[in-house]
Amino acid sequence: MLDGVKALIKGLGVTSKALFEPRDTISYPEKRREYSPRFRGKHMLAKDTDGHELCVGCGLCEAVCPAHAIRVVAASAPEGNPVSWTNRYSVDYEVDLIRCIFCGMCEEACPTNAVRLTPFNELAASNRLDMIADKEELLHPPVRK
Amino acid sequence: MIQLTIDGQEITVPAGTMIVDAAAKLGIDIPIYCYHQALGPLGACRMCLVEVEKMPKLATACTTAVSEGMVVRSKGPAVDKGRRGVLEFLLINHPLDCPVCDKGGECYLQDYTFEYGPGNGRFQEPKIQKLKDGPINEFVLVDQERCVLCQRCVRFMGEYVGEGQLLLEGRGVETVVTTVDHVPATSQFTGNVIDLCPVGALLSAPYHHKGRPWNIEREESVCPHCPVGCTSKVTAREGRVIRMEGRPIPDREWGWLCDRGRFGYDFGYHPDRLLTSWVQGVETSAAMATRQVGQWIQETINQDGGSAVGVIMGGTHTTEEAYQVQRFAREVIGTENLAISRSEAGYLPRALNGTFDDIKKADMVLLLGSDPYDAVPVVHLKLRERWLRYSALKVIGIGPTRLTRDTLPGQDVITAPEQSAAVMALALATQRPEDANVKTLLQALGDFSPSGVSPETLTELGVQLLGAEHLVSLWDGMDPAMGMVLAVLAELREKPTPILPTFGPANWRGWERAGFSAHFEDLTRILEHARDGIIKTLLVFGADLMNEYPDRALVQAAFDRLDHVVVEGVQPPEDSPQVDALLPGATWAEVYGTYINMEARLQVAMASVQPPGQARPVKTYVNTWAHILSHPLAWEEDWEPFDEDSGELLPLHPAPLHVTPLKVPAAIDGDMILITGALIWEMSEPSEILLPRIPALPGRINPEDAKNLGLDIHGGRMRVSQGETSLVTGMSLDPRVPKGLLWLPQRMPGVNTLQPGPIVLSLAKEEVTA
Repeated sequence: MLDGVKALIKGLGVTSKALFEPRDTISYPEKRREYSPRFRGKHMLAKDTDGHELCVGCGLCEAVCPAHAIRVVAASAPEGNPVSWTNRYSVDYEVDLIRCIFCGMCEEACPTNAVRLTPFNELAASNRLDMIADKEELLHPPVRK
Repeated sequence: MIQLTIDGQEITVPAGTMIVDAAAKLGIDIPIYCYHQALGPLGACRMCLVEVEKMPKLATACTTAVSEGMVVRSKGPAVDKGRRGVLEFLLINHPLDCPVCDKGGECYLQDYTFEYGPGNGRFQEPKIQKLKDGPINEFVLVDQERCVLCQRCVRFMGEYVGEGQLLLEGRGVETVVTTVDHVPATSQFTGNVIDLCPVGALLSAPYHHKGRPWNIEREESVCPHCPVGCTSKVTAREGRVIRMEGRPIPDREWGWLCDRGRFGYDFGYHPDRLLTSWVQGVETSAAMATRQVGQWIQETINQDGGSAVGVIMGGTHTTEEAYQVQRFAREVIGTENLAISRSEAGYLPRALNGTFDDIKKADMVLLLGSDPYDAVPVVHLKLRERWLRYSALKVIGIGPTRLTRDTLPGQDVITAPEQSAAVMALALATQRPEDANVKTLLQALGDFSPSGVSPETLTELGVQLLGAEHLVSLWDGMDPAMGMVLAVLAELREKPTPILPTFGPANWRGWERAGFSAHFEDLTRILEHARDGIIKTLLVFGADLMNEYPDRALVQAAFDRLDHVVVEGVQPPEDSPQVDALLPGATWAEVYGTYINMEARLQVAMASVQPPGQARPVKTYVNTWAHILSHPLAWEEDWEPFDEDSGELLPLHPAPLHVTPLKVPAAIDGDMILITGALIWEMSEPSEILLPRIPALPGRINPEDAKNLGLDIHGGRMRVSQGETSLVTGMSLDPRVPKGLLWLPQRMPGVNTLQPGPIVLSLAKEEVTA
């Protein structure tokens, strides 16, 4: 019986010691961790200073993507409304975030530095379709708090 | 034969072979831009530098012919340095455009730079700016900055096609490829320069910015628009056909396509395409429509027996589809009324059919009513290639208009309309008057003498017909009597006499193989029986009889009388309220199948995309009807149109020669006489991409007649009247049409309301539209 009491006291000792140690968890979402500056989260499509899209729809990201998560459909720029900085732009640009493995190869392959991986990592959705980011969504990247 | 060593491997090749071709036989790849086997050596790009022993400097492999004991090295430090230097020069003014260039990923400049090029250039100055995405014509764009000046396009259009509509303009680094006088190129073969261009300088306008090599699927296919059946590749992306390319086949095809075939692929996406089923003018579900048609067939069989059903094949259907329809018609319905929708009365037995290989050996070419440039453009290129290589080639055109051209020069025997067969027979008679077959031919002609053809011409023609070593004839199939004369000619001559039928539909030989009758008489008989009420139900697959059959009135009468007209097709027939059911069909890119072309060659076309909407392959309809008729068809064994003995060509069946006397051609009186002919732009399914190039003035009239009628020198619209019917159409002036004749494309809508013969022409008054 004495052994039992000993063990109990020892156990409580460990617990009470841990009470005053710094905590390993944080109270998400009020508090958030600092990530590496190279962290790769959700994609975004960048624009240049004139507001023209950098993406020309070349499809290299699509070609390089090991998970086949990207779909690009390009077209000639409409008369008088150059969407991108040149005469070709992407009509559709979709990233399937369920398929994506966030390897960053699209970013590396992009010749115009249009697709970039932001640090945003809060990707949960209640619907599979919501996990496919379309062009509109990618042009307006959410900011990580 | 010459023996040489390339990279340590010995090879023996015929004298005159270039090093680059000899290396290709060994599987050694030498980079080239300007050289093309069809165009011959030029040495403009300097990309193919190789080291030849005992030559002081690097030599261009594409212009250096092999010689005995030559030792060639295609690799090594000297060659690498040479190629690196050439590429550095080529890239000096080449823009860094690859991300927006359609050629990116399938570009030889990219590939060779990656393999042989320098890592970076030393040239610091700004690149010269030139025209980007400028037009060559409606179908081809030119980006002059990307051009490496290999001149393939210029030489193809100038030397090979013979219509020099492209040229190099400017000097030095400012040299650009452009059209002559900066007007759009009008040749039928402009699209080929897209395939020829090794870089992204010449691009397809309809394909512009649509696909990338890694997100498209390419399937081997066959062009379905004319009986040449050019080998092609279909590019599809996300279930949509977006491009056609030529598919070269070693030692047989260069992969040329005409613009009609290359850019006419979009007929499956035409806004008028039939995508839902219609029964008696009411849109309905596919299941309802199919069942309704099945019940009609059942009723007809119950009341009048299977032979009261007629089946007509047309459109772009494959041989297998025709076989499925044929089995359904024979086994389930029990009818022998199976015909092919033909526009010409002639028929050519397989035994007389030649191949394109014969053109490569020909020493004389006979154009019988058929202008290959208009009817079968790629055959025109084949004939021209033969003429370029064998300048003694004799070309003789026999028909009511001039059939030779500047690009295929020769001699013309201009006959009065419908007298060509008699002229041919009389020409034979000048040489072999004692031959029994010739005698039979001439029996009824009496002392008929053809108008406009002198006895000397007849004798000369006869000598040439019998003297030619390898006589290739292209026949338009208009006059059945000509078929008989050709059979007699083939019998008389002991030397090869291959005939190439230039008439359509594209796959008629295939449907014949599948069990349909290709004889025009059978089609006419079915229509007449329908008009007379013997045939009650007509199933039409793909054919637009109202426009295809030469006598529209008969089709109209037949459709009026028939109980049920069922049309399966891609396009709804124009304005035909008598059609009881319209069933959407699948196009050529949506089914796998075999096409048999004018040389009786079997060629497989793969399916590239899925049929859209309710469109479905013929087999689906046939199976459903077979179930409704309680006679399900079993398809365990796939039928093969191939024959083990014949290989790619249909087996030869000797055709017995039946010679009947030629009728005396009826004299046609009239100031103006209508004749019709094939024009590729007006044939097959309509396409939106082609619209800007469909001739606005398709009719052709002699300039003198035009002047007398008060027609503008640039052409204009005229009213063609014949009895009660009349047609307003555009006319252009063409000196190749003799005086007193009017030429119209036979498949232009409305032309078959008129009959070849006397007509009255008048200027069309400008119609005022509110």
